[in-house]
Amino acid sequence: MVSRRGFLKAGGLALFGIGLGGIPGFLADAVAGTVNPPLFKKKKILVCIFQRGAMDGLMAVTPFTDDYLKAARPSLFMTAAKGSGNEKPLIDLDGKFGLHPSMAAFEPMFREKRLSIVHGIGSPNNTRSHFDAQDFMESGTPFKKGTTSGWLNRAVGLLGHESATPFQGVSLTSSLPRSFYGENPAVAIRNLADFNIQLRGNVAGAKMASKSFEDLYDQTSSDLLKNTGKESFDAIKMLQKTDVRNYKPENNVVYPTTALGNSLKQIAQLIKMDVGLEVAFAESGGWDTHFNQGKDTGFFARNVNDLSNCMMAFWNDLSRYQDDVTVMTMTEFGRTVAQNGTGGTDHGRASCNFILGNAVNGGLVHGLVNPLAKENLEDGRDLAVTTDFRSVFSEVADVHLGIANDKILFPDFDGKKIGVMRA
Amino acid sequence: MKGNTRNFYMCAILFCCAIVFSSFIRIKGADKIAMPYKKAGLTTEQAAAHLLSRFTYGAKPDQVEEVSKMGLEKWLKKQLEGNLDEKNLDQMLSQYDAINISNSEVEDRFPQGPRITRWAVRDGYLHKDSLNTGNNKYQREILQTYMKDKGYRPLQDLYRQFFNQKILRAAYGENQLREIMTDFWFNHFNVALNKTQCASFVPAYERDVIRPNVFGSFEALLLATAKSPAMLMYLDNSASSGVNVPMEDQEMMGMSDTGMSTEQKAKRKERVKKIQQQIQNKKKQGGLNENYAREVMELHTLGVDGGYTQNDVTQAARVLTGWTVAPLGKEGYGVGNRNLIERLGPSGLKDKGFVLDGDFFFNANRHDNGEKIVLGKKFPAGGGYDEGVELLKMLAHHQATAKFISKKLAVRFVNDVPPTSLVDKMAKTFTSSKGDIKSVLITMVNSPEFWSEQALREKTKSPFELAMSAVRSLNADITQPYELYSWINRMGQQMYYYQAPTGFPDNGQYWINTGSLLNRMNFGLALASQRIPGVKLNLPALNSNKEPESIEAALVTYSKLIMPERELGQTVARLKPMLNDPNLHQKVAQAAAQNSAKKDSNNTGMEMQNADTKPAKEKMKLGNGRKANENPVVKTQAGTNTMLAQVVGVIIGSPEFQRK
Repeated sequence: MVSRRGFLKAGGLALFGIGLGGIPGFLADAVAGTVNPPLFKKKKILVCIFQRGAMDGLMAVTPFTDDYLKAARPSLFMTAAKGSGNEKPLIDLDGKFGLHPSMAAFEPMFREKRLSIVHGIGSPNNTRSHFDAQDFMESGTPFKKGTTSGWLNRAVGLLGHESATPFQGVSLTSSLPRSFYGENPAVAIRNLADFNIQLRGNVAGAKMASKSFEDLYDQTSSDLLKNTGKESFDAIKMLQKTDVRNYKPENNVVYPTTALGNSLKQIAQLIKMDVGLEVAFAESGGWDTHFNQGKDTGFFARNVNDLSNCMMAFWNDLSRYQDDVTVMTMTEFGRTVAQNGTGGTDHGRASCNFILGNAVNGGLVHGLVNPLAKENLEDGRDLAVTTDFRSVFSEVADVHLGIANDKILFPDFDGKKIGVMRA
Repeated sequence: MKGNTRNFYMCAILFCCAIVFSSFIRIKGADKIAMPYKKAGLTTEQAAAHLLSRFTYGAKPDQVEEVSKMGLEKWLKKQLEGNLDEKNLDQMLSQYDAINISNSEVEDRFPQGPRITRWAVRDGYLHKDSLNTGNNKYQREILQTYMKDKGYRPLQDLYRQFFNQKILRAAYGENQLREIMTDFWFNHFNVALNKTQCASFVPAYERDVIRPNVFGSFEALLLATAKSPAMLMYLDNSASSGVNVPMEDQEMMGMSDTGMSTEQKAKRKERVKKIQQQIQNKKKQGGLNENYAREVMELHTLGVDGGYTQNDVTQAARVLTGWTVAPLGKEGYGVGNRNLIERLGPSGLKDKGFVLDGDFFFNANRHDNGEKIVLGKKFPAGGGYDEGVELLKMLAHHQATAKFISKKLAVRFVNDVPPTSLVDKMAKTFTSSKGDIKSVLITMVNSPEFWSEQALREKTKSPFELAMSAVRSLNADITQPYELYSWINRMGQQMYYYQAPTGFPDNGQYWINTGSLLNRMNFGLALASQRIPGVKLNLPALNSNKEPESIEAALVTYSKLIMPERELGQTVARLKPMLNDPNLHQKVAQAAAQNSAKKDSNNTGMEMQNADTKPAKEKMKLGNGRKANENPVVKTQAGTNTMLAQVVGVIIGSPEFQRK
């Protein structure tokens, strides 16, 4: 069975004129100099970061004038006012919302209107189970478990052009996340350096095997195996053009040596290698702060510090590509307005998210956060969801990637947008 | 005494009748195995190879010959009985102490992490102010002490034993088809370890719910899954509840008010209003959860085009309200229900319509006992537990289900896109046999479609199947199955972690993509060169310790051993020129010398590891300087073995071996 995709891909690759074992000419050029060959028509790239565990949106971006919140969080509440002791104040964004001081790296981006924040974002399904909420957010169908595909996979399918490489959709995880489940091409790579034929301690053996495999797959009668085999060996050659182990970020950027930093660094490499990447996915963990989440220092502070520093390292490393890249965070739900008995917060409803890019309607906290009086809370306890996550995701996909078909991207969604991107 | 004796005889007679009756059906029905492979132009050996490729995790050396001699029908019959002696496997599995424990024991011995922390605080080991979600060392140590004192063990141990047994069963079990079907039905009724609420119950789910029911009636299988803690938690039915309106009120609401006095009418109106208010309040609390009801129709029985509506989903969810998990373990799941159960006692439970059946609990208090209509069938008010059973039976025997299940089986065993003619035949058997899975399978193998050109070698092995067929064909000795689990994960199949209730897709397109394909090749190389810890091979022994005369001979011999009855001309022809590369021997010998040098000398170990990152040329130079290279004997032996491993590795990673 030849899929249309497989056929086109094979055709597309033939254009590169890669001989067996050789390095395509354009790659040699790229290695030799700073030539950036227009291998693919310049494509936009969407990078999604899933914060697993449910980020406390009310601590990341605090409505600091809200006395209800102050009362509900006696030992967690922070203010924007400089005051007592050594505690760092929030960064006042607009007189109402304060950015957590550990996310200071974001402030210039917000002031330059290249970072926008949506508050009160969440799922219409009020489940407070991590698993279910992540599942719904990633499938993009908040009331349907059985959806076979993930929304990012559908996004890849809706890009409107066939991919010439296997790197159109890439997840920097050990296995494909739910967001990428589906029929369209997507690969999970944890480490670019491992993307090769390997035989530990026997380089000659690996080389010979690689040649054998390439030849075998080239000749097989199964089109699926043949095309994918070709794709794989071409992909290896693409990645081999750079020394991925000794990558030097630009602008003296130093990525945090964390899981997220490592993932974003590799996404940056893929972008610079110009291998046709359009949708990328990375994860950040540790947001389930039931215990002693801390304030300006402590657990939560370290988490948001990592998130903002990683994103900014990525952004600055990619200074030449900033017009093409948008980064969006997401988390399955928010946390209770009131702190719990162990210095933390429990599972709630709405949270906030960050969108970084030159096309965002930045410098604003979008969405609606009503005063946190009990009568305004969802189920009397949680920040109410006032913006459907699909509204934000679909707008970003539409403006940045040119995906206008919400019916496929998010079936059963009403299509309402709130203006997080500059139209 | 007398009564007991009489009962005994009655049972015995009934039992005999049942046996006679069932064998009568067997003779008369479609259960006779008569596989038309000769008509399809296949030799017995070819047919055996095909049968083994679909109904086992890969043929073991000489197995094609054995099955051919034994007779394919006889072999399949035994497989369908699924009770071959497992002495060898049982011996291997005896090293695992947690693979046979009940859900309650799991709750008692392997509590979930957060629970342990909570209990550690309660029992005074940790102070709540010192808690941190991070992995700080201090807290970890205290928790470890606490677990040791209490005899708790980490859930990861349980999972690991569970993965290991799965791999050993597939690699060494005699009842191969039972394992294949266990895999199939588990995937059909998928649950996942990613969801913590159900994770602890997944091992028992496979063992007690799936495996014993794989060849029986579909209805029994469906019911068993519906009542299992894993499924009840995974698809949230355990949390679904409705309003239980007392029957007299239920009746009153349904009655007409003609003939009532004004006072009675007013009273009735008020009462109805109150009940409706109650129902409304309950709805606001979000008591009804439709997840299971939807998926049981869409994924487990009717299929997405099975002709049900959203309203059917809601109504079915109402039917299944109150179906939940029984209290498990001493401090495990369902403490609230435990009090209720103890208070009422067995007879009290029965009188009030509760059902306690193993790990399953029907909580009548949470059951919506109003009238429902699902797929046009009316479930009158007050149906209780039984109406749920009735609903599931109706779904199990539905026409759409017969089609849906038959097609899924045909996709699994015949072709990614199976012929309609075959699916129709299977569906017919499904219906006539009242959903007897064994009969449906027999119809499948009795059909020419199973043996046709469009079926042979047309399926792509999943990563699990690839790994298992490789170790089976090479007679590998597995002492660390988890290493294989990790490789399978790397090849794109994180077993037991498929998040969606759909289960892994069953088609080649899904399994074969760039990243996964490279890892399949790397797996072949790693396995054959014995780079997978705890997986030992004896490649020369496979060929009765006869050393192949040449590399070319090795290629031909081992290709035949690993892929019996395949047309290997292409594979061999493509690889030959490579093997005849005059520099090859030298290169490989050098590599081998490097390897043995590495093993020889501990002092140079570090140096060699560093050398891994150096360019190949430089590295070879390094190899040349090694002592081992100066010893011609070591050189030749290592060279031959490395060469053989190389050949076998390429065969395992070859496109032909990815097919089944």
